[in-house]
Amino acid sequence: MQLLLNILVTSSLFLSIGLSFSLIYYPTKFFHIAHAAVISLGAYLVFFFANKFSVPFSVSVGLAIAAAVGIGLLCEILVYRQMRKRNLPALAYLIVSIGLYVVLQNCISLFFGDDTKIINTAEVTVGNQIFGAYITTIQIITVFVSITLFLAVNLFLHFTTTGKSIRAVASNPELCTIYGISSNKVILIAFAIGSALAATAGILSAMDTNMTPTFGFNLLLYGIVAMIIGGVGSTRGLIAGALLVASTQHLAAYYIDTKWMDAVTYIILILFLIWKPLGFSGKRLKKVEV
Amino acid sequence: MEYILHLFILICFYTLLSQSLNLSAGFTGLISLAHAGFYGIGAYTTAILSTQFGFSFWLGIPLAMLISGAIAFIVSLIALRTVEDYFIICTLGIQVILFSIMNNWMDLTRGPLGIPGIPSISLFGLNLDSKVSFLLLSLFFVAIVWFVLRNISKSGFGKILTAISEDEIYSQSIGKNVYLSKTVSFTLSAMFAAIPGTLYAHYISYIDPTSFTVTESIFVLSIVIIGGLGNLTGSFLAAVFLVLLPEALRFVGMPDSIAANMRQIIYGLILVVVMMTGKNGVKEFFTSKVKRTE
Repeated sequence: MQLLLNILVTSSLFLSIGLSFSLIYYPTKFFHIAHAAVISLGAYLVFFFANKFSVPFSVSVGLAIAAAVGIGLLCEILVYRQMRKRNLPALAYLIVSIGLYVVLQNCISLFFGDDTKIINTAEVTVGNQIFGAYITTIQIITVFVSITLFLAVNLFLHFTTTGKSIRAVASNPELCTIYGISSNKVILIAFAIGSALAATAGILSAMDTNMTPTFGFNLLLYGIVAMIIGGVGSTRGLIAGALLVASTQHLAAYYIDTKWMDAVTYIILILFLIWKPLGFSGKRLKKVEV
Repeated sequence: MEYILHLFILICFYTLLSQSLNLSAGFTGLISLAHAGFYGIGAYTTAILSTQFGFSFWLGIPLAMLISGAIAFIVSLIALRTVEDYFIICTLGIQVILFSIMNNWMDLTRGPLGIPGIPSISLFGLNLDSKVSFLLLSLFFVAIVWFVLRNISKSGFGKILTAISEDEIYSQSIGKNVYLSKTVSFTLSAMFAAIPGTLYAHYISYIDPTSFTVTESIFVLSIVIIGGLGNLTGSFLAAVFLVLLPEALRFVGMPDSIAANMRQIIYGLILVVVMMTGKNGVKEFFTSKVKRTE
């Protein structure tokens, strides 16, 4: 039972990270690795505002998310948009985003130090007991927030004009331009929502355990693995992917050893890339364009 | 003086690493983030062989290359099924797996404790434990690898690799075996990465997994990109620049704790600016700018 609860908590965290990442991935079609720094940044700013300046907790969460969105938008406006004007190959974006990640992560290290930090909001408690298993309040909040955000984003994508235009740009950017949808604007909106979700997930994760400047990178990689396994472009596949990644991790921790969790995750990814390269949903991965 | 020699030796290591990565990333277009993993395989192979079985360096180096090559071959069978972004993510996964093997397989690698007491290299009964002699040895390897890579790039095989990096489908259509060439290039690149690995292990005489992380892979990839894809001299110059950069920062009076992060911020920024403008390496970045102003 404890195992099931842990899987639920972890998979909802991966779900929101995978969702935040794929929101940016759908319209732009490249891996925004610097997203990892946005995840960490959200958590560190909450720490900064709440612990250093004793700003009320809810206000500091709001400020942190706003700042993270700002960084996400700056990446898009100052870097990626300039690159789109030059028609660079997809690989260039990935390398640039790795460079951006290195810069942002080291800025975080410079300001906050490389040591492990904890956002302490309440006393450490045993947690609430449900069906003989323990779950902390923050974990309940994580599950609740992730599922709510997931539903909200899905509704947004399917039932609002802006959401529909994100999906339109994702499927055919050229046709969108013909119909007068500004792909730059749509991508900007996707970056804003994606960064906000990422910062939220980062804050939740940091409150549940602790944080180092690189913790966002690991989280993001799990999110990416969940996205690839789930099949790119499918939100339902993402749920399956997040569940699969979280449950293999916890099962590996339970039956083998916690130290092999990372390796097992990537072995799953590689197995998927060999036998089911299209993910659960069966949509095609991007291939070399002829 | 000792310290300057140490820096020169580091430059040799990073030249070897970046030039070997340039074979797969630059000439073939297979951008890999698993290079530090293969570097680590080289180091661990020779460390285990020399401390537990008393193998000498000269026997360790071909064995390390073989093992690294064999693992790279298996990896390439899997990774080369994917293209572009997915290839990078796949190699990143492999890097994480290799790291967690080094970090967690206690019986073989002693995990985070690392392997101490790796003997120094001896040649014809002479012990190469002074820095000068080690530098000469490293230079010797740099010269060999540079020469071999230069010849590979100029050979017919090298031309095929360049063709693949430019247009994969066209190369296939004129009857070149794209998959095989990619596999060979990736495997060779990993075999060359094992050389600095063995040198590093015998030089420092102690290795632990923290030298072979994802960050290290990103660093080596940055050297290649800053120096220019497919440009061996560029890789060498970029390695000189990035190894000496923290020293320059220290010279300016920046404390060590900040200098380490500043170095990464600076090379990250160079990476972003160079790639953003779509130029191949810093050299092209500047030369093409001059042309525009003329």
